Amino acid sequence: MVEEIGSAGYEKTLPRRRAKRLDNAKSTFRLFIKNRTALIGMIITIAYFVIAVIDYIDPRWLGVENLSTALLFVPGHLANSELPTPPNFSGSWWYYFGTTYSRIPILPVMLGALKYDLTYTVIIVFIGMSVGVIIGSMAGFYGGILDEVVMRITDIFFSLPFFVFALAIVYVLGFSFQNVVIALIIVWWPTYARLTRGLALETKSLKYIEAAKASGASGVKTLFSHIIPNVLSPVYVQISLDLGSVIQIFAGIFFLIGALGSSSFPLEIGYLLSAGLPYLSIGIWWPVIVPALFLLLFTVSVNLMGDGLRDVLDPKLRR
Amino acid sequence: MELRYFIIRRLLLLIPTLIGLTVIVFVLMWSLPHAFLASAFVNPKAPNRAQQLQDAYAQLGLNQGIVLGYLHYLVNTFTGHWGYMTLSNPIHYDGPVLSGISLFFPNTIQLVIFAAILSILISIPLGTYIGSRPNSAADHIGRIFSLSFYAIPVFVLGVILQVLFGKGVIGGNPLGLFPISGTFSTSAVNLLNPPSWLVSGAGGIVLSEPTHLIIFDSLIHGDFPLAANALMHVVLPVITLTLSLLAGILRFLRSSMVDASNSEYIKTARAKGVPEKTVIKLHMRRNALIPTVTVLGLLFAFLLGGVVLVEDIFGYPGIGLLALSAILSGSIYGVLGTTFLFGIILVVANLFVDVVYSILDPRIRY
Repeated sequence: MVEEIGSAGYEKTLPRRRAKRLDNAKSTFRLFIKNRTALIGMIITIAYFVIAVIDYIDPRWLGVENLSTALLFVPGHLANSELPTPPNFSGSWWYYFGTTYSRIPILPVMLGALKYDLTYTVIIVFIGMSVGVIIGSMAGFYGGILDEVVMRITDIFFSLPFFVFALAIVYVLGFSFQNVVIALIIVWWPTYARLTRGLALETKSLKYIEAAKASGASGVKTLFSHIIPNVLSPVYVQISLDLGSVIQIFAGIFFLIGALGSSSFPLEIGYLLSAGLPYLSIGIWWPVIVPALFLLLFTVSVNLMGDGLRDVLDPKLRR
Repeated sequence: MELRYFIIRRLLLLIPTLIGLTVIVFVLMWSLPHAFLASAFVNPKAPNRAQQLQDAYAQLGLNQGIVLGYLHYLVNTFTGHWGYMTLSNPIHYDGPVLSGISLFFPNTIQLVIFAAILSILISIPLGTYIGSRPNSAADHIGRIFSLSFYAIPVFVLGVILQVLFGKGVIGGNPLGLFPISGTFSTSAVNLLNPPSWLVSGAGGIVLSEPTHLIIFDSLIHGDFPLAANALMHVVLPVITLTLSLLAGILRFLRSSMVDASNSEYIKTARAKGVPEKTVIKLHMRRNALIPTVTVLGLLFAFLLGGVVLVEDIFGYPGIGLLALSAILSGSIYGVLGTTFLFGIILVVANLFVDVVYSILDPRIRY
């Protein structure tokens, strides 16, 4: 009987609690948009993702039918009639940024290339985050030997130069897109594990966890419905900052191993940049600089957004 | 606890880290086919190949299970048997891994040390200055600067610097002063009759004796034009690495300065009439440096990743370019050796950071 009354009371308060949570989200959002630079960062970030989605739906809307034709060339051995032409402001706006190899306008090629970076960066960050959050919160919540082992493992990962290490993993697994993603997940989850472990330790000692335990919630239930949801807001901040770091590392790896010219690599922004390098010494700079600046705009925007989010969601960490 | 006891304890703590590092590198190695591991371990052009392969199996412990294999790996690593590598692109090299690494290692250390010293020398006074004036014009400029250089991918920065300041990239650019590739110009040396201390290494790479650092060697031998030429070649790579590390340090130092300035002890110091300069230098900066030093280890890990990219962009023959060559040439022991070495560099850097940390904040020693 008692239980029924309890659960009925719980049901009754649910809509109110949802409304409160929505209120919280609203006020958080209001605080966030007060920060102009963070808002601009968010708008630009969203714009990048919108372009990526458009490009996935139909690349012709961006002006190029088949992106891979832009890389059908032997680096360093282009005929004069195929050399990139410089930015030209008199004609169509497609040509404002100049052309790349085989004289295809660089803008659509680059936007098409960016979509791969965006997609795989999101995949890496989210899988790394999920693995790290689950392992880290379990370590913090259960403690004991599990905690010791997990923390020693993350210690070791933190003392590795992760870029070189990721390259070595890619070498051992074989050069392919999926393997780069796997390698980056392997080096990235410890960040989240360590972050959530600390937060879980802090949360564990709070009254409502004691209450949950006292009311008979199992360990797993406490972990998934009380600990993890309450450690997520610093994790969101970390995600938004990591989008900027991971895209750099992801593009950096392809910038390096793009020299292999494997046909299994799609045209990706780091690869596009490295393909332009041989032309720098003869004064053709735009096939390199234009994608570089667009990548920079994304990483700066993501960082601005992350800083703004941190100020709103996690005032304790404010830097 | 006295500092030396702290250092001894910290050195003992290196053991688990080193075990972790070797285990990870070993697992990477062991997951590959064993026949491949054996055949890559020895010189493929050696005359008695069959015998050598058998020896390689024994030396690597390939038939003895994973535990003994790991012990063999440890013995091989610490006795200098790092395997054999044949590299063709972009560095040409054919020989044992360890001696190859020793040829290129000084160049990388030179880059890293120049970048680390420069960025610390610039960031600490700059961070103190802007951090003690929050929301001033200088602070806003500093924040924009550090955010942009913190967010910029190292290879993008390197390429932009090449375009802006590289010799001959943009025709008639008055800023195009610096060569964009290599460690010195061949035009600065009389190649038909090279000085005896310039040795042509395997695959046409010219190495200088005795330190392999062309700047120092040409100074030792009194060839000042060559030293100046070599110095011009390291300017852009060093600036690239410096800017990215500097931005990271500045970002953290500025925010911890602002945090420190809101604390009670600063108010106390001001209230009792301590001169503002002393407040900033002794009270604020010293405390603000502590959280900054903790992120220094992480920033250093980023810097080492940047080294690989920078050496590739600038065609600078260091172990980053060596690692890349090993990857592109498919040389397993080259990859493992350079990965292990990068791990060791980071471990040593972290040790150094912790010692500095304990000097700044003696509480940490307990």
